[in-house]
Amino acid sequence: MNENLLNLSSSPHIRGKLTTGNVMLDVVLALMPATVLGIYHYGLHAFLVIAVSILSAVITEFVFDYIAKKKNTVKDGSAVVTGLLLALSLPPSVPLYIPYLGGLFAILFVKCFFGGLGKNFMNPAVTARCFLLISFGSTMTNYAVDGMSGATPLADLKAGAAIDVARLYLGDAPGVIGSSALALLIGGLFLWAVGGITLEIPVSCIVAFTAFMAIFGGQGFDPVFLLAHICGGGVLMGAFFMATDPVTSPVTSQGQILFGAAIGVLAGLFRAFGSAADSFSYAIILANILVPFIDKLPIPKPLGYKESENKPRQFPKAAVNLTAITLIAGLALSSVYIVTKDKIEEQQMAANAASYQEVCPEAESFAYDDAVTAAVEALEGNPYNQEKYGRTFIKEAVVGKTADDSVAGYVLSVTSSDGYDGDVTISVGISTDGTVNGIAFTELHETAGMGMLCGEDAFKSQFSGVQTDAFILNKAGGSAADNEIDSVSGASTTSGAVVNAVNTALDFYAANLQ
Amino acid sequence: MKLKTFRGGVHPEGHKELSKGQEVVPYLPKGDMVFPINQHIGKPAKPVVAKGDEVLAGQIIAEADGFVSANIISSCSGKVKAIEERHVASGARATCIVIENDGQYTLAPGIGKVPHEGTLSNKDILDAIKAAGIVGLGGAGFPTHVKLSVKDPEAIDYVIANGSECEPYITCDDRLMQDENRGIVEGLRLVLQLFPNAVGIIAIEDNKPDAIQAMEAVCAGEKQISVQPVKAKYPEGGERNLISVISGRDLRFGQLPADVGCVVCNVSTLNAIYHAVHKSEPLMERYFTISGDAVANPCTLSVRIGTSHAELIEAAGGIKPGCTVKKVLSGGPMMGIAMSSLDVPTCKANNALTVLAEDEVEIADAQMTACIRCGRCTRACPIHLIPQMMAEAAERKDYEQYEKRLYGLDCIACGCCTYVCPAKRPLMQLFKQTKADIMAAKRK
Repeated sequence: MNENLLNLSSSPHIRGKLTTGNVMLDVVLALMPATVLGIYHYGLHAFLVIAVSILSAVITEFVFDYIAKKKNTVKDGSAVVTGLLLALSLPPSVPLYIPYLGGLFAILFVKCFFGGLGKNFMNPAVTARCFLLISFGSTMTNYAVDGMSGATPLADLKAGAAIDVARLYLGDAPGVIGSSALALLIGGLFLWAVGGITLEIPVSCIVAFTAFMAIFGGQGFDPVFLLAHICGGGVLMGAFFMATDPVTSPVTSQGQILFGAAIGVLAGLFRAFGSAADSFSYAIILANILVPFIDKLPIPKPLGYKESENKPRQFPKAAVNLTAITLIAGLALSSVYIVTKDKIEEQQMAANAASYQEVCPEAESFAYDDAVTAAVEALEGNPYNQEKYGRTFIKEAVVGKTADDSVAGYVLSVTSSDGYDGDVTISVGISTDGTVNGIAFTELHETAGMGMLCGEDAFKSQFSGVQTDAFILNKAGGSAADNEIDSVSGASTTSGAVVNAVNTALDFYAANLQ
Repeated sequence: MKLKTFRGGVHPEGHKELSKGQEVVPYLPKGDMVFPINQHIGKPAKPVVAKGDEVLAGQIIAEADGFVSANIISSCSGKVKAIEERHVASGARATCIVIENDGQYTLAPGIGKVPHEGTLSNKDILDAIKAAGIVGLGGAGFPTHVKLSVKDPEAIDYVIANGSECEPYITCDDRLMQDENRGIVEGLRLVLQLFPNAVGIIAIEDNKPDAIQAMEAVCAGEKQISVQPVKAKYPEGGERNLISVISGRDLRFGQLPADVGCVVCNVSTLNAIYHAVHKSEPLMERYFTISGDAVANPCTLSVRIGTSHAELIEAAGGIKPGCTVKKVLSGGPMMGIAMSSLDVPTCKANNALTVLAEDEVEIADAQMTACIRCGRCTRACPIHLIPQMMAEAAERKDYEQYEKRLYGLDCIACGCCTYVCPAKRPLMQLFKQTKADIMAAKRK
């Protein structure tokens, strides 16, 4: 035996079989039930979205490593996980540039720029999803696919409608590709069984979220309501797959409980009081930022330093403390919201009042009329008449009063969700004889130089002083009739949304106020 | 009896079946015998023979020098060839007494006779142990008479006989418990005599049912001595974990088992104590496992201390035909030391030689990725440290944080974190280095 050939190294001389690649493979396997069901329900396009997302993530990492002259890290499989996770949290009908951009953003900006695997401080897939939500709001929240339409279960839920939890279990409802609660739960438990995750984060997250929704969700401890909230809107996906990303979650068991609870409370806060969807994505990336601080908290004492060494095992005190702290923090946050809620509404009222005054100048004051308010409330937040006007919603209807308390006119606040980039909300002033006094925008965030031009007088003034049942959008321009509205050039979507909103107001006026 | 265990640890493949089945036979070496004078923790022994002297088997050739030291006994008869510096298994160099083996194994006078009539005093026992040159045979090599001379013998309430043998491949304690069960119990009884308030508990991993059965057979009817099966898991036999499992008491860095009322002795040590006290036989031979996938006939042999490792591989049938040896370990794969040369002697505390055809470390190094913070190291740490945070602190040389906040010095270097790490990071190696750096800075 040639002794010079003997390898020398420090012990241990054997290693477990598990590699980083296996760890990632376990996550991919755990996501398979949700992936397969997603493709089954949503078809070929969903498959393409998944494929593009994964390819984009992998290719981005490969190219970055090549250009940056780094060791090729594609084979560790983490880019595949990122791509798959991202795809499963996208609506099934998104155009394919969405998963492409998402995969690119996740890997390049969130992972590679921070030093690659293990160095990113926010979960790449979740962060990319938030990036897409902010950049392509309406596309990212359009869950309509062939054969399925209507609002997402969560939108229904927010609107107070009853929803079918069984459909949520199987993912057979409008939603993201990986929305089957049952498949996600099976995958999550598989991942736990193979040691890929611990239960601290998912359990604390779901418990905190459920507790929050029970207290502040407005329907108390209604099990159906709570179950629907847990099974919908990415709660299970977030709790089992996104929050548990080891790179961006705390190391210690206590830290993980705190982290999970923070996500649950934040998500509950966003969902109960904010806009319904996507609360979990934002909650997770916010909590990701907390991780370095959580890791600085006192760590559990090792063998030989534990206080209750010779005593029988007790319920871990630290866990109780952390839960208490989280609950108190959650309540404090919520109470801040509740206290400021009136203030926010007041300011909203003031902003609205200014626009009301603009479109109903004769009025000295504005008041609610019980019958009219009841008519608004009867809509239950549903679209006014989706077939005719698209997704338009009556927010409020008020009566303008002159100094001697006679009716000066009516103002309706109408939102159309069919803007090029999300909601457009306008106040429409209608005089007692049905003539449109004018319109004013209270919410408009469209493309500058195009959709935003709808806010200019040149467009708005076309509505003023016209008495009609309905306006007609003229995309070509050069309108002759009073009730024809010239579209802003290059912004027919936004123009159309505004026309629909005004027509909704006129329709409501004709039905309830005339 | 109910299985006991601790939180953490790993389950490496045991490979114990390789060497388990064979009967243990004594191996009588043919070549020169080499005796390093520092086969124990503490001060090296002082040679009492000179070049050219004739020595007999069982003769003291180097005497304990100071309190924490141990006698060195010749295990063969022959002539002192040299007293010189040589390489030892750890790779370091040490002064060694080299004896030209005459192959006769002529025993020194007085060996084998029963020295005392009637009852033995505690001093008789300790003196006999000291004279026999017994040290901890489980691997640590701490002089046994020193370990047993605790300040307050009445405060000891557990004497733990460590027969867990959690290192993969090694089966020498397993075999010893089957062949020498009476010797072990007699040895334990002698130790218990030193500690009036103690009970003796023999801890054996549940993957050694034959050993458990053999030990239970001799413990039947004993009031003070019992067998406690423990779960087969590495490092079940680590001193801190074993004490925690058996007594429910936890040690911290810098504490000795006696500080929590425990004394831990390997079963081989207890057997050696029995032979030393009742038969006046000094420590000359021990059970030793030669195993690994590159060995032709893996086995456990009764080996004379001082035998060359190279000769032992030949005794086990040599290298398997067609096998290329990648790595040779003194000890098992979890805590053993990779050897650069086989021409080094076995010492008292060496219990195994593992010869491997494949080096998993080489493969793992090629698979290394960045830490993904998966937390498996934390779950595996038997001391409940957080290796992932320790590694971060160690890498940026934040020794304050490493020692004070993360209790890094409590690392027992068991290697569980390195074993489980999917990113294949050499965590334990980093901790060993960091601990050495911190201890060096403290001594300054």
